[in-house]
Amino acid sequence: MSSAILSPTSAIEISNLEFTYPSASSMLCVPKWSINRGEHVFLSGPSGSGKSTLLNLLCGTLTPTSGNIQLLGRPFSSLSGSKRDKFRAKHIGVVFQQFNLIPYLTVSQNITAAVYFASGNGQQQATQTRLSVLLHALQLPDDIATQRADALSVGQQQRVAIARALINEPEILIVDEPTSALDTASRDRFMQLLKQVSAQSTLLFVSHDPSLKQYFDIHTSMDAICRGEQAPC
Amino acid sequence: MPWGTSAMLTTIAIGSLKQRKSSVLLTLLSIVISVSLLLTVETVRHQVKSSFASTVSGVDIIVGAPSGDINLLLSSVFRIGSPTKAISYSNIDMLTNHQAVDWVIPLSLGDTHKGFRVVGTSNAYFKHFMYGNKTPLVIARGETFISPSSAVLGADVASAMKYDLGDPLVLAHGLGNVSFKQHASHPFHVSGILSKTGTPVDKAIYVTLEGLDAAHDSATTSITRANKLQNPSLHATEHEQHHSTPHSHENEDHHKHTDSISAVQGQENNKDDYKPQAVSVAMLGLKNRVAALQLQYQLNQNKAEPLSAILPGVVLSQLWAIMGNIEGLLLGISLLIVVASLFGLTTMLLASMRERRHEMATLRTIGASPLTLLMLIQLEALLVSLAGCVISVLAVATLLFTTSEWIGNHYGLYLSGNIFNVESVIIVSAVLVATLIIACFPAIAAYRQGLHSGLNHS
Repeated sequence: MSSAILSPTSAIEISNLEFTYPSASSMLCVPKWSINRGEHVFLSGPSGSGKSTLLNLLCGTLTPTSGNIQLLGRPFSSLSGSKRDKFRAKHIGVVFQQFNLIPYLTVSQNITAAVYFASGNGQQQATQTRLSVLLHALQLPDDIATQRADALSVGQQQRVAIARALINEPEILIVDEPTSALDTASRDRFMQLLKQVSAQSTLLFVSHDPSLKQYFDIHTSMDAICRGEQAPC
Repeated sequence: MPWGTSAMLTTIAIGSLKQRKSSVLLTLLSIVISVSLLLTVETVRHQVKSSFASTVSGVDIIVGAPSGDINLLLSSVFRIGSPTKAISYSNIDMLTNHQAVDWVIPLSLGDTHKGFRVVGTSNAYFKHFMYGNKTPLVIARGETFISPSSAVLGADVASAMKYDLGDPLVLAHGLGNVSFKQHASHPFHVSGILSKTGTPVDKAIYVTLEGLDAAHDSATTSITRANKLQNPSLHATEHEQHHSTPHSHENEDHHKHTDSISAVQGQENNKDDYKPQAVSVAMLGLKNRVAALQLQYQLNQNKAEPLSAILPGVVLSQLWAIMGNIEGLLLGISLLIVVASLFGLTTMLLASMRERRHEMATLRTIGASPLTLLMLIQLEALLVSLAGCVISVLAVATLLFTTSEWIGNHYGLYLSGNIFNVESVIIVSAVLVATLIIACFPAIAAYRQGLHSGLNHS
């Protein structure tokens, strides 16, 4: 895809994307799909529909068999592996389903590790200030920064995972089913917090729980994406 | 890689290793044991060679009774093993008068004092014997032999026994540290203490040939003793037999030394002019070293009395040639054990890769490249190996420091606890490089895992 036809306002733009796992017979096909900068999109789909594969392709941990992925105006899928890693570290934040904090690191180390991989220096004053602001915004006590990740409650782990995803102030935030293990009240609190701290980012929220779409302006499904339908507003 | 990222990787590596304490500690233990073994073998090998090479310097030929070149060298210079049979003192006279010989040091060996070897000699020893790089012996305090009952102590003897100048020194025969048979009637008096040399010289007591003869004069009847003096060959034969092996006199009644005639006689004589009937060996310094081979040949062909003349350097080379195969074998086994322990480290890291899939996937997603994961695994391997090397160096240094005295006393090997030398640096460096090479297996596994890890692995 030539950049001439890409919208400068697109955060994510996919065209003619095809991906097949070497050992699998099924193929993920996305003819055309885009998300504009600043949009918060809810992506739903049943298990096995290819949600995680799509997220891996968007993160650059998988490479398309063919087609293009353009992120923030750059040909992301064509970048070399190391450039893709750098780009991901700087511009993409990811919140995992199981939060995936590194258990033996402190909260501070878990969060700033992303800064080290992105810029090489997580000790900068700006990073420490941002860390403090994020912990405060996520309603975490200041002294939690020195606690080991495996000593946190599930709710605290969830919020630390968000802080880690946002520490580099990414333009794109990808959230993969983070509420699946939460009760309704906790889920609602989490969603409100997420919307609040990610106001400046493009948010792609993936879940198989349709009740969460109320928090988003845009809702689409894997089925629609694979048919080449643009998400309805 | 920026310093900050390296510091973060180190933090992650240390945290990860702490997370797997049991397996890491066991692996560390195997590395410590194997590297310690290698360091010990190499250090002992190096120090023994260095110690042997620096023990004798400037002695061109050693002459003794035929008993094997290596045995003659070990007993005369390093005080290891049994002394050779004695040779008649007429040979010393012959050597002293030889035109090629510059100086002669007679040595009478075979006695011990509280575990320290006693060496009967003359002042020529202190004048001509050199060690290291032709460093002469230095009297730290006192003087050399000033009377037949003079004794000069090696530095270690003086410090270990807390003897001082003028202290009486009673020879108590026997190889043990404790003897119940004291020859109090023939006391020597400490006339001097040598400066430390770091060689077997430090662990010996030097007495006059005359005094030693007096101490060995058996407590038989005065008639017998008088007969011996009138018939020196009888005494020489007994003395020769007496000195043929290290011996203990603790259960011998015949060694009740009283003031002997020879000692009295000796006090009247010039101490360096005293001529015993026999000595164990003689060390020669030549006027011109070129004549060494020729003189050696002449002495080995001596018809009056069978003699064995050796060139210390040549015999040392023969000794190393014999030891070379054993050294190589020990070194090879030690190296194989180190390699086995490093493969143990690799196996531990490989086995941990499955349980670390989440960790790897997380690191990848927050920006770590596959190469960073490879470096993380290499760093973990390196940290374990480095810790093993540091502990090994300290352990071996402590072991040698605490046992060097005992080893010196029992085996005549003079080892130092200082193993912080080039060889140790080379060994540690080689172990670390080997670690990096062997750790490529799990590191590449992590790299590959990193290439394919993603959210579906989280």
